[in-house]
Amino acid sequence: MSSPLSKPQIIAHIQKSLNYTVFDSKWIPCSAKFVCLGNFARGTGVLQIYEVQHGEAQLIKEVEKAKPIKCGTFGASSLQQRHIATGDFDGNLHIWNLEALDVPVYTTKAHKEIVNSIDGVGGLGIGDGAPEIVTGSRDGTVKVWDPRQKDLPVANMEPVEGETKRDCWTVAFGHAFNDQDRCVCAGYDNGDIKLFDLRNMSLRWETNIKNGVCCVEFDRKDINMNKLVATSLEGKFHVFDTRTQHPTKGFASVSEKAHKATIWQVRHLPQNRDIFMTAGGAGNLHLWKYEYPAQRSKKDSDGADVGVAGSVSLLQNATLSTQPIASLDWSPDKQGLCVCSGFDQTVRVLIVTKLNVA
Amino acid sequence: MPLHVTDYTWTQTDSTVHISVPLKGATAAGVDIVSTEEYLKVHFPPFLFEAFLFEPIDDDRSSAKVGNGVAVFTLPKKTHKVWEHLMITTDDKETKKEIRARALLTQEQKLSAELKQKAEKRQAEKKYALETMMKLEKVERDRIQQMKDAEREKTTAELAAWQLRQKQEAEKAQQNQNHQIQQNPDTKTPGSRQTDIRKNKQVHSDAEKKKKKKIRAQLPPPRTCGNIPVTFTPRVFPTALRESRVPEEEEWLKKQAEARRAMSAELEELEDLTEEERNPDWLKQKGDKCFSNGDYVGAVNAYTLGIRLNRKLPALYSNRAACHLKLRNLHKAIEDSSKALDLLTPAVSANAAARVRARVRRGSAFCQLELYTEGLQDYEAALKIEPHNEALQRDAQIIRDIIQGSAEQNGTQ
Repeated sequence: MSSPLSKPQIIAHIQKSLNYTVFDSKWIPCSAKFVCLGNFARGTGVLQIYEVQHGEAQLIKEVEKAKPIKCGTFGASSLQQRHIATGDFDGNLHIWNLEALDVPVYTTKAHKEIVNSIDGVGGLGIGDGAPEIVTGSRDGTVKVWDPRQKDLPVANMEPVEGETKRDCWTVAFGHAFNDQDRCVCAGYDNGDIKLFDLRNMSLRWETNIKNGVCCVEFDRKDINMNKLVATSLEGKFHVFDTRTQHPTKGFASVSEKAHKATIWQVRHLPQNRDIFMTAGGAGNLHLWKYEYPAQRSKKDSDGADVGVAGSVSLLQNATLSTQPIASLDWSPDKQGLCVCSGFDQTVRVLIVTKLNVA
Repeated sequence: MPLHVTDYTWTQTDSTVHISVPLKGATAAGVDIVSTEEYLKVHFPPFLFEAFLFEPIDDDRSSAKVGNGVAVFTLPKKTHKVWEHLMITTDDKETKKEIRARALLTQEQKLSAELKQKAEKRQAEKKYALETMMKLEKVERDRIQQMKDAEREKTTAELAAWQLRQKQEAEKAQQNQNHQIQQNPDTKTPGSRQTDIRKNKQVHSDAEKKKKKKIRAQLPPPRTCGNIPVTFTPRVFPTALRESRVPEEEEWLKKQAEARRAMSAELEELEDLTEEERNPDWLKQKGDKCFSNGDYVGAVNAYTLGIRLNRKLPALYSNRAACHLKLRNLHKAIEDSSKALDLLTPAVSANAAARVRARVRRGSAFCQLELYTEGLQDYEAALKIEPHNEALQRDAQIIRDIIQGSAEQNGTQ
């Protein structure tokens, strides 16, 4: 009986049924609390804070907002302040202080349409450089904000005049290993993945994976960019090795088909950047491990360096519900603890064991 | 008729009767014995021994030994009495028949009872086997479940312990902060809190790095504003992969590519033509120019030459159909537009406009030939491709009215 039980196990620790549609759930750093963001049936937004106590999730605070809230991140706030930046259905970006939720600390009308995705970098003691927030919206633009600058975005990636715009479904920061370097990766609904370099204010790389891109994430935000995972509709995800960029071929990638449905989220384990979990539209979670190839780059026929993609192996999978699991967040403090929420109006706290061995 | 055995011998005690029947050479396997309480029959063809017993015997305890050319029966009596005779002394056939029938019946019942018992026993044994199997499996399952539960409890206990540690450390940090504020208020306090919290994260234990973070007072200024223009991948067909009719669309593109490349092999006749005149596209343009100038015959010639060079361009057929319409060569128009429609399969959105045009031309040709129903069919097909075209709708309505008008006419006549 040793081999099935020496694999990492995904154990559902707490399951809490909510009375609203929950879109995002995030751990509050350095605590055993998490935030749930969503919208009530009456069309107003809701922000709830839960604490994990004695095997139960206790509601600590609940506040209702005017517009439904789609996504949130703690990535750009410092550890003492722990402000959450949220994007809502109306295109507004707010930053809230969780102690005083009546008035936002920072607010701006970021986009004309719903903010689909948000990410933050520079806070929480991770990475160097200014704290910045990037938002991607259905109006096809990706904007980078600095909480110290009001109203105007620090960078704006918008379609050229006259171009038909495509919805931006996901954004992620990466390559933030010193004060100046930053990269933003954006995924669109027509399968485009674009990598923008904020230091040069230019497009660094783009590709098209044929199916709408649901989620992109770098394995670490604060290092020289190492790996990028992009998930899409129809159950496919691609892992790009971003250490070596070829002038024409771009990045090497390996792709895997799993889940039989849209893969909604991918999240890397904060403690081990080669392990990541994907959440699928059939309510299942797959835990993967990336293995590097013997040589990460080789010379091609022209003598230019081209990357070599490794391989991905499935460590464990678990089916938690029948509805899609739309959001997933690992706890940065305890290895293996994660919170996930799905469209069955439930938020679950999971424990993944034996991640040291894997 | 079986032969009755009469040279049997019998002895008795108070409690048992012994009968010995010679087998006359029959094997033990060929002997059929029926015994009940009051009747004993031994049948070894062609011999038969029947005994209508004087008194009833205990059938369950009776036994028979068959072997060595003789069958020996040991029949314990029900009532301990000495019998005068072995058999009842009656020659009444009826009684004998009755006794025989009764005996056979009892025999049957006994046999069926035995069968039932055997079946029940088998059933019971199977059930028992099943139950033991289930018990074993249950034990196995419980063991695995226990291991899982133990794992879960261990992790939840760890979680609780970690939370407790967090709380304690937060309190300690708070106390430290209070102390430090009392001692000397300087910018070191956020640094020390950071260091305490960092211990939990196990990320950096490097003392130098901590110092660097304490010293770094200012964050870098906000980035200077920049704008990056974005273009999206042009898709030939802007639908998602799962919605796209990729196989048909690929087929259409391939056909088009082939059509461009197809060149006729009849080069001897065409040697006096110039380079230009051998290019079907150029010929098509020439034809279009003639058409717009009103030179329909010239246009037909140009298209015909183009078709000779390249039989696979639907545009040439379709345009030639339009010329024929103008020249009122209606049958030829119908032929050409049919050929064009054949070439325009598979039906995709890219060739929708061309298909509509071909249908309209064929439809008008039919109407001019007064084949209104066929014409209406074509117009309705065109409407299906382009439902919002008002001119098409009007024309279709006109044709419908004509059809109805002629039907009435025929009816009244």
